[in-house]
Amino acid sequence: MIELEDVTMKFNLGIEKNFSIKQAFVNFFNPKHKKQKKEYFNALKNISFNVKKGEVVGLIGSNGAGKSTLLKVVSGVMKPTQGKVTVHGAISPMIELGAGFDMELTARENIYLNGSILGYSKKFIDEKFNDIVEFSELRDFLDVPIKNFSSGMTAKLAFSIATVVDPEILIVDEILSVGDIKFQEKSKNKMLEMIKGGTTVLYVSHSLQSIKELCDKVIWIEHGVMIKMGDAKKICEEYYEHQMQK
Amino acid sequence: MIKNTFLNFKHYWFLMTQLISRDFKVKYKRSVLGVVWSLLNPILMMSVMAVVFSQMFRVRVEGANYLVYLMTGIIMFNYFNEASTNAMTSVVDNFGLINKVYIPKYIFPIAKCLFIGINFLLTLIPWLGIILLSYVGLGEYTCHININYLLLPYVFLCLFLFTVGMGLFLSCVSVFLRDVIYIYGIVTMIWNYITPVFYSIEIIPEKLIPIFKFNPLYQYLNAAREIVLYSKCPSVYNLIAITLYSLFAVIIGGIIFKKNQDKFVYYV
Repeated sequence: MIELEDVTMKFNLGIEKNFSIKQAFVNFFNPKHKKQKKEYFNALKNISFNVKKGEVVGLIGSNGAGKSTLLKVVSGVMKPTQGKVTVHGAISPMIELGAGFDMELTARENIYLNGSILGYSKKFIDEKFNDIVEFSELRDFLDVPIKNFSSGMTAKLAFSIATVVDPEILIVDEILSVGDIKFQEKSKNKMLEMIKGGTTVLYVSHSLQSIKELCDKVIWIEHGVMIKMGDAKKICEEYYEHQMQK
Repeated sequence: MIKNTFLNFKHYWFLMTQLISRDFKVKYKRSVLGVVWSLLNPILMMSVMAVVFSQMFRVRVEGANYLVYLMTGIIMFNYFNEASTNAMTSVVDNFGLINKVYIPKYIFPIAKCLFIGINFLLTLIPWLGIILLSYVGLGEYTCHININYLLLPYVFLCLFLFTVGMGLFLSCVSVFLRDVIYIYGIVTMIWNYITPVFYSIEIIPEKLIPIFKFNPLYQYLNAAREIVLYSKCPSVYNLIAITLYSLFAVIIGGIIFKKNQDKFVYYV
């Protein structure tokens, strides 16, 4: 289902520093700066792994280890500098909720806009519209521009739109808890239902508890390098010990 | 590959319509007249320019209704100006999305060109109104609606394709060099003056005329004006020029965009 072969992701740090004509001009006369152009940062280094259909795989690692970059590479947002990514099946990326929400538009309009961005068809949204509204508990506010929503309400709406699908591949970046206590419980159950529903899942979380609960396998990444891949419980424990020793 | 592109396009058509309808809703939000502004704006602009140029500067165009001449130029040039400017910033403005979800990036500039295109079609209503008024004595000459009008959609389509090509090119370049966004305002201003929007190409010194005719926008404006003002079919040379310019722009813009689009995420 998901296959990564020798994937490397390089970021050119020089780009940030060489961003205007003024800077370009300064660099032109100052040869020292030219060297900085070649400053690369390897967000991912030679990562290869295989996720089979129906497997739930967790990703662990410290902040900045490259987990989110890896998810972006798998979901196609970024093309790897080197290596090959093969994905069979429709991906539902839940990396960021509410992508493309327009504050000026109403909740109703945003459901269609955000849905189309997530790749849903008009027919699909028409069919699922009621489910989305029901789940978000925002029926009374359907025709209110979302700039008037509280952040919790916006998050609830975004979550409801993103989780209405039955994806073949689900990519989740720690979004289990949004909204108030009641909604948190509800959203958590919804996620569990989706994950356990036989879909292939890539799941990033810092909660080892939930990883152990949900995942069959775990990939441990540190500084862009894959340290280990294997049985969830075993690797979680090793990871925990390693982190605590530092 | 072409078949693939087409399927892709079909798949993302719904997204495209959503983006366009968002632009519409946001644009006319909180304005009392709303979409009427799209009709009113070109009339007001034409009136101001007509007074300035025909009364103050005494600009005359031989054998043509100056109001129609002016308005044809204004709506076509403005379409190009607005659409290419909006398309240019569309990719940078949507970085938030590009960085989160996979969407073919060409959607953004094309959606902008279509959105402004719908606006353009609306401006054709007052434009047609002015032409009809010329029958009852508005301006010195009457514009006769004739069979050649059937060619106008083709002229507009070519202008659209040319604009899409420019939009793809500009949106791509502006990702790597944001300065382009600021420079382009000046570029379009100069472009506006070297294009015979409010004057006739005949006032240009003879030696310079070939250079002025090299300007793609002149060719588009000229084709439309031949039809509307002189009831003529544009010359073969003119029709070939607008076709080639639009194909050239779309192909070059498309290739440059396609080659660089994977690098966009690094420049967020």
